Amino acid sequence: MGEFDTQKGKYVTFKSGNEYFGLKIEYVSEIIGFQEITEIPESEDYIKGLINLRGKIIPVIDVRIRFKQEPFEYTDRTCIIVIEFNNLVVGLIVEKIAEVVEIQEENILPSPSIGRADKSQNKYVYAIGKVGDDVKLLLDPDRLLNDEDKTVLEKVSEDNTEEGEE
Amino acid sequence: MAEEFNTGDMLDVYLYENQQLLENLQDMVLEQKDADCFDEDSINEIFRTMHTIKGSSGIMMFDEITKASHKLEDVFYYLRESHPQNVPHQELIEHVLKTADFISAELDKLSEGEAADGDATELVADIDEFLNRIKGTGKDKKADVKENVHVEPTQFYIAPVASNNNKFYKIYLTYDKGIQMANMHAYKTVYALKELAEEIMYSPEDILTNEHASEDIVENGFKIMLRTQKTEEDIRKIVAPGYDLEKVDVYECSEKEFKLGFDSIGTEIRIDLESSVEEIEARSEAKEKGGEEPKKAMAPGDFVIASKEPGKATKLAKDKPKKTEKTTYISVDIAKMDMLMDLIGELVISQSVVLQNPDLKVPGLSLDNFNKAAGQMTKISTDLQNVIMSMRMVPLTATFQKMNRIVFDMSRKLDKDVEFEMIGDTTEVDKNIIEHISDPLMHLVRNSVDHGIETKEERLAAGKTEKGKVTLSAKTESGKVWISVSDNGGGLNRDQIIAKARQQGLLEPGRAESSYTDKEVYQFITLPGFSTNKKVTEYSGRGVGMDVVVSNIQAVGGTLEIESSPGQGSTMILKIPLTLAIIDGIVMEVGNNAFVIETGAVKEFVSISEDMLIHEPGGAESVMIRGECYPVLRIGEWYHLRNYVSAVEDGMMVIIEADKKKMCLFVDRLIGKQEIVVKPIPDYVKKVKGLSGCTQLGDGSIALIMDAAGLME
Repeated sequence: MGEFDTQKGKYVTFKSGNEYFGLKIEYVSEIIGFQEITEIPESEDYIKGLINLRGKIIPVIDVRIRFKQEPFEYTDRTCIIVIEFNNLVVGLIVEKIAEVVEIQEENILPSPSIGRADKSQNKYVYAIGKVGDDVKLLLDPDRLLNDEDKTVLEKVSEDNTEEGEE
Repeated sequence: MAEEFNTGDMLDVYLYENQQLLENLQDMVLEQKDADCFDEDSINEIFRTMHTIKGSSGIMMFDEITKASHKLEDVFYYLRESHPQNVPHQELIEHVLKTADFISAELDKLSEGEAADGDATELVADIDEFLNRIKGTGKDKKADVKENVHVEPTQFYIAPVASNNNKFYKIYLTYDKGIQMANMHAYKTVYALKELAEEIMYSPEDILTNEHASEDIVENGFKIMLRTQKTEEDIRKIVAPGYDLEKVDVYECSEKEFKLGFDSIGTEIRIDLESSVEEIEARSEAKEKGGEEPKKAMAPGDFVIASKEPGKATKLAKDKPKKTEKTTYISVDIAKMDMLMDLIGELVISQSVVLQNPDLKVPGLSLDNFNKAAGQMTKISTDLQNVIMSMRMVPLTATFQKMNRIVFDMSRKLDKDVEFEMIGDTTEVDKNIIEHISDPLMHLVRNSVDHGIETKEERLAAGKTEKGKVTLSAKTESGKVWISVSDNGGGLNRDQIIAKARQQGLLEPGRAESSYTDKEVYQFITLPGFSTNKKVTEYSGRGVGMDVVVSNIQAVGGTLEIESSPGQGSTMILKIPLTLAIIDGIVMEVGNNAFVIETGAVKEFVSISEDMLIHEPGGAESVMIRGECYPVLRIGEWYHLRNYVSAVEDGMMVIIEADKKKMCLFVDRLIGKQEIVVKPIPDYVKKVKGLSGCTQLGDGSIALIMDAAGLME
């Protein structure tokens, strides 16, 4: 449990657009440099394709496109955060990794539901963390990965069960 | 008793080797099941196999296995030496298979960590009876052929705990002349004495494996040397003369004498005052004979359990059980293999990073030596990758052979004449998958023989040949392994299934029975507890089976399809995804994307010119090649890729075929042909039509695998 304790309250933060976002460190399995992506035809625009992570093939999504922001040019500073959530391993393409910060419980505020124009962004953010004067938008990986895909995923699993019953 | 010696490693090796031997044995026997007799090679091979099993089981002290294998060895020894005519071949096969079954059952028990507690007595008696029968009258069995006797003056040690205050005893047991199985009695005594023994030796030593030990014991008595802390009285309590045991002589002797063992025949005679002159003579004769006989490379029963006494080393000389020339195997944890495979992938990537490093592009660098070394390294890593990939793949042959055995057994028991055919048994499938499909396949094959194939009378009445046929075939198609079990029996009875489904309330209310398609009807038989078979047989009819088959197959992501036509037979097709199967693929490029298509699906590559294209209204295109018209699918356009070639002259047409339909794919260029490891596209990405998986190419990049059947839709 020691490991758990050291991870508690720590967030990996990255920059996307003008905002800083945070992800609980326990979801992050590693951060890798940008590598060549194999596109998958006919998939959602934010799913950029597949990468080869040491023989393991994982999908990568572009966080900015996911947030319905303007796409950006991939450069040397572009990073891929590999997260693992519910046995799903996915790479997140982000513009810039910022740092790992510790945010105390009392500095985490629930995400304000009104007063924010960018609604699409809001639904991935479950809370706001204050670090000094800065604000980090804390992301819910479940919503980030699934949310509207749920229909797709559910459909896939439904398809599977249907096939099974046949 | 055996447990003390069964250190895990030894047992593992023992189990593994003998299982392999038995498998080979079974294959060999089944191969010749329709012949009139075994050929010379097989007889020798079976003899050797049994001999090896006997030897190693003896070391491990699995007596029943030793007994069974020994008996069968005798039969084949006789066959080998005397070439008898008119051996009932079928019966012989049955005996061989029964023995093999018995031994495998025991081995299974052992591998489950249980004791090998089977009883081979009945089996041995059966074979004995058979052996006597083929020897003719069975009366003068010793006269016509020299028995499989190996006289080897060795001793058997059991050395439990060493401690001081030892006394040394020699014990002579004389048995009643009329005793049966004196060797077993002797063994029982040894076993009992072991309780109080620090160290024990006995002679003749191979009392369990040598069938003449019994006679020898009756003739010459049974000698035991014992080192113990107990007194003579304790020993006498255990080995008291009984109805079989005529006389027990216990002498205390010195340590020196003890260490000399039975070799000190002089001492022995001096002490053995009560032995008759004949006995002594007989013994020295045996001794001489033992000396004259050259040591054979393979001497059964010539085994020694390691003693903890280093001083005994000279007497522990032993012949190792004969090693087979077969390929040796080691079993490796699959997880380690996966890890290895991933690491190789990583290695290939970092290799290309090194070899194509921008630092090397500095003008004026002399890279001759570097390039030479790089070429060598590339070659090694490619070889390495190929080896690793091939390591995981196992041909289906062994699994299919097992089915052969099942068909053989069942056809005899059910009195049906069934031919078994295997097609494509060398299809390689990932080891994991083989493990999952072995049981379902067995169920399907059983079903085919039991329900599918009719009885001889029914077949003749239906105007079919008396001989039924079960075909097991395997192939890879459209990214899946198709394994089908088909029979030319009666087929499924639709009316019966519907009736049963109605009875079990499985039909949808308000839906006409006739509206069910055959496929839907056949699916009913895969439901739990559904059996139309009226009577329960040894093999099937309990209604557990098909549902288990289906759930097992689903566990590996496969499907089961049932096809049947009344009177013609039925076919069960398993479609198993090749999660990690290696396929031969053609790598092509469209725009910046690499695609792979299974080589088997590709008919040909054609370069065409614009005037060969036929533009249909509505945008569909076809191409006319040598009088045949194929629909054209432009991959770049279809998948909305970028930077793809649009002029047909600049690209390449690939004609593919699936399900007897043909079509043309238009791609930019061909890269080459290579073996690829199929990996599933992560679930996170929704399924794309026509793509069945992805793979890692040699340079570490990812290619998408196109599924010919999927593209057709």
